[in-house]
Amino acid sequence: MISGIRQPTLRIGKHSIDIFPYWIGVLIIGILFGLVGAFITLRDGLHVTGLSNEIPWGLWISIDLSAIALGGSAFVFGVIVYILRIKRFEVIGRLAVLLGFLGYSTAGMVLLFDIGRPLRFWHPVVYWQPHSLLWEVTMCVVLYLSVLLAELLPVILEHPIFSTHPWLTRFRLLGNAMSALRKFSHWLHKMGPVLAIAGLTLSLLHQASLGATYSVLAGRGLWFNQSAPVQFVFSAMSGGTALLFVAGLFVFRVMRPGAVSDSTFYDVARLSGGITLLLSYLRVWDWAVTNYYSFDSEVFLQTQLLNSIAPYSLTFWLGEVLLPVIAGSILLAAKRVRNFRFLAAAAFFPIFSAVLTRWNYNFSGLIASITYDPFNTTVVLNSYTPTWVEFSVASLVISYYFLMFSLAARFLPFRSPEEHH
Amino acid sequence: MEKNTQPAAEQKGNDVSRRDVLKIGAAVLGAAGLTQFISLNSVRVKGKEVSGGDGRKWGMLIDLNKCIGCHYCTYACQAVNNLADDMLYNIVAPAATQSGVEYFLSRPCLQCEDAPCVHVCPVEATYHRPDGIVAMNYDRCIGCRYCQIACPYGARVFNWKEPIEQSPKAPEFGTQEVPNRPRGVVEKCHFCSHRIDAGTERGLTPGVDTEATPACVVVCPTNARVFGDVNDPESPVSKAKQEAAITLRLREELSTNPLVFYVPPTQSNGASSTTQKEDEA
Repeated sequence: MISGIRQPTLRIGKHSIDIFPYWIGVLIIGILFGLVGAFITLRDGLHVTGLSNEIPWGLWISIDLSAIALGGSAFVFGVIVYILRIKRFEVIGRLAVLLGFLGYSTAGMVLLFDIGRPLRFWHPVVYWQPHSLLWEVTMCVVLYLSVLLAELLPVILEHPIFSTHPWLTRFRLLGNAMSALRKFSHWLHKMGPVLAIAGLTLSLLHQASLGATYSVLAGRGLWFNQSAPVQFVFSAMSGGTALLFVAGLFVFRVMRPGAVSDSTFYDVARLSGGITLLLSYLRVWDWAVTNYYSFDSEVFLQTQLLNSIAPYSLTFWLGEVLLPVIAGSILLAAKRVRNFRFLAAAAFFPIFSAVLTRWNYNFSGLIASITYDPFNTTVVLNSYTPTWVEFSVASLVISYYFLMFSLAARFLPFRSPEEHH
Repeated sequence: MEKNTQPAAEQKGNDVSRRDVLKIGAAVLGAAGLTQFISLNSVRVKGKEVSGGDGRKWGMLIDLNKCIGCHYCTYACQAVNNLADDMLYNIVAPAATQSGVEYFLSRPCLQCEDAPCVHVCPVEATYHRPDGIVAMNYDRCIGCRYCQIACPYGARVFNWKEPIEQSPKAPEFGTQEVPNRPRGVVEKCHFCSHRIDAGTERGLTPGVDTEATPACVVVCPTNARVFGDVNDPESPVSKAKQEAAITLRLREELSTNPLVFYVPPTQSNGASSTTQKEDEA
């Protein structure tokens, strides 16, 4: 156990219990439950899901998009630490890299189940179709995952087990391999600025393209929209940074007091709040452009029908505009608020909003889809209910995310790179 | 020996040596070569299945005045392609114009010249043949279903399950003519390209000779569907287009340029009265 890490405990009366083993137990149950669904999906095919030819993308795609969005802090802090060279964000930047890696690996994992031929997952890398946004997204995600891995390796190798374990001296081969790996990781750390630029480029490309994946489809009025790519980038920055703030409070302020100063936390909160407000501003204009200035009867019909089965407009105004504006304002005023519980509660809304945006985006165009009737423009309502197998696989990947995060939070030192070289 | 170590020392500094320039040049050339190799590769894979390239472009005309909603086109398509009842390439549905004229709207794949599905496929599993047909490479498809989402006509179906033994419409409406597709890939109407390819090899003319013409066109009892080369003014489809006062294409505003043309209905052909009977059949 690394000294200086304070484990969160649950106090019941006079006893204080380390809840970590129980928490890990819950996650392992989640993974075991998920493995059942994963096995059934791979054995029986996708008809075990609630997906159909009318709604071919469902719960899993929403998780995939959300996980990628919530990894958005990695590229933001890559730039802040390595290109702008603001030293006080170095430690929290390492957590951002971890969150990025977890987000992207979760996304990759759930996609593996979502595609019809999982063993052909590598096809986009070999059979190029550069006109396809999904091809571009796949290539960017594959490359960016490698960048994140390169950025994460030095963070993992910081753990003392990789330098002081008795086996390293007992088995010379292992010791040599480890010192070579450490040299490599040291070199990777030196390459930080290069990785940060690569990460920024790849992130901006694919975060935007994920929005464009939907918004280029002229056949589905609600999606066909010019600002979706920008919205997706900003919402990933806003949600990702808010998640980093909450996770950072837990990993550093609760478990490693003193590792990150309060003023740094305030700055992370202000950054998240600022981007959230900017995003909300863009959203309102986007709404005005598509619903007010260029009235489109198809879009109106779709929105109306969506409201008849779900509070579509309400979730937009409440979840994507009003609450993020309030939360963003609170986060932006972090230095005046000076209450971390309050700020953490506020940071929940940009995270929620980033997920909600992707959920709404995916389902709105599919559930209310325009028919090709040549004489009457009509919109049909399709329905989709995820099956337990879909929830099971969702449990697998979400439990994986939390398990990896919990292990890292407990065992990784997250030290400043200056401390040991 | 000293000379050998010199460039290494140089590289550590910021100076760009000749060797660096060569290295970068080689990397760029290598990358370019790799893309070239890959694109050549994909062309070769496509080349195997491609027929035509002789300037012919296959198109279809559907006269909505003639369609009686018998669903035979759907059934023949099912039998030939071995499709279950929930995997239809071709659908027929009752519809009405705004002035209340009832008719049947039938829809194969429209083989768009600017097909959204071809643009979005991440692995080029779906592509245009030189003769205009939007074809599938089932060995390459990863089953991401982006093409299904992109298609404004709902013309694509995904293999949610394993292929069936025999179509419920076989042998009554025909026998299986194409191999089964595996579970997990998207498939679609291909204008019976196997008939076109085999027929043209034997010197037959698609649209005129039944063996070289899509099954849905051949089976239609009222000749509502006409097929042929849209570039040939003498082909059945071109003649029918000239005869028709107006033709329209579905969702023209999207600029997908479908190769399937419709003659709009001018009088009611009793869509609502016959629908139920056909559904029972």
